[in-house]
Amino acid sequence: MRSWRSNRLLFFAVCMTLCSGLILVSAAGALAPVEGLVATPLNFIAGIFNDISQTVNSAAVEFSEIQRLRERNAELEEALAQFQAELVELRETSSDYQLLTSLLDYTTTAENQEFVTADVINFDQSGVLRTLVINRGTRDGISRGMPVVTNLGLVGRILEVSANASRVLLITDSSSFVSARLQTSREEGSVRGELTGNLRMIDIPLDAVVQEGDLVLTSGLGGNFPSDIVIGQVQSIRQFEFELAQEAEVRSLVNFDTLEFVLVITSFQPVDISVFETEEEGAP
Amino acid sequence: MGNFLSLPILVIAAALQASLGKQILLLGGAPDLVFLLILSWSINAELEESVLWAFVGGICLDLLSAAPTGASIPGILIVIFGVSGLGQQVYRIGLIFLIGLVLVGSLVQQLIFAIIMATLGYPTLTLETVTYVILPTVLYNLLLVLPVYWFVRRIQRRLSRRKIRLS
Repeated sequence: MRSWRSNRLLFFAVCMTLCSGLILVSAAGALAPVEGLVATPLNFIAGIFNDISQTVNSAAVEFSEIQRLRERNAELEEALAQFQAELVELRETSSDYQLLTSLLDYTTTAENQEFVTADVINFDQSGVLRTLVINRGTRDGISRGMPVVTNLGLVGRILEVSANASRVLLITDSSSFVSARLQTSREEGSVRGELTGNLRMIDIPLDAVVQEGDLVLTSGLGGNFPSDIVIGQVQSIRQFEFELAQEAEVRSLVNFDTLEFVLVITSFQPVDISVFETEEEGAP
Repeated sequence: MGNFLSLPILVIAAALQASLGKQILLLGGAPDLVFLLILSWSINAELEESVLWAFVGGICLDLLSAAPTGASIPGILIVIFGVSGLGQQVYRIGLIFLIGLVLVGSLVQQLIFAIIMATLGYPTLTLETVTYVILPTVLYNLLLVLPVYWFVRRIQRRLSRRKIRLS
């Protein structure tokens, strides 16, 4: 039994073959039930460490911020007096806005959306992939592809689901693409994640007017996300004469590193439009 | 005994790496605690025991990430087979030897992981991956290798003392 293992080369070859087999079977998804089962205690332990580190971290941050907050408080009190004067003016604007909103409601139909709140229990530890794990799974009605948001905007979509946990692919992951629209000019494009954690809106038509501060929303094209969820704000624009489209750097309002709670939109089912693509290709 | 110890030590290390690593990111790189433990263990252990550590550690890492199970193992295996080969040539483990081992080993392990992920269709094999993730991880590993090696050696010495007493 030990003799074949004493031959290093043979032992190495056996180990590597075993590894390759494991990777291929896992990548094909055949190990998913076993992985889900084994990952449950691992995720539980990681969750405990995560809670401890976040508690320590937040205590340290709070301590260092007390002095800064005192100064900030004085500044804010001064600003408050100024803002109270502006409040009167804004109330006038607000009444105009409500009137316009009721007119807009007349022409558009609002979608009723259902949410499931989830705790973030783990972040992906490899630097190249940007995913996180939440403590809700199939038992809570979560399924693959459901959009994940916070009150500040789009976070990502469900990538894998087990009974009591799900993995969320963040929009900042370099393999993530979201069909997007600029709120002001209504021009379409795609927002893709980058390895640095930033977002970039690509494929914006050359003649489109893009301005810094423009809001970027989901367009709903492709059926992966509902429309009009905030993705972020345009931070800078890149345009060259020799390129067919322009690009914009987008800053998400969500801080993905400190996420504690997220909302999963359970009433939205992603649409698989690949069927139509196949029919179009096959058509004469 | 070292075989049985691999599971609790590496499970805790992987969980720590997954939760604390995010808090102390240097660019996109975090310390690879599991890799350091396996490497330190393999320097003074039998090859078969080290291979078991590599499989247990690699699987723990992959279960806590989106990577397919087993993707972290080939890189670790190549490094520990290399260490085992070197161990037959070297009498004493010096500081420079250890640092060199971690430097080369971490680079090999990280690059092979990136190549495997790229083969599976992830956009991981770029210059940005090297500068933004791999090099900071190697730097972290170099900083942490001494305490990790000291910890592993303490366990190994205790185990060998116990073995002698039992025999």
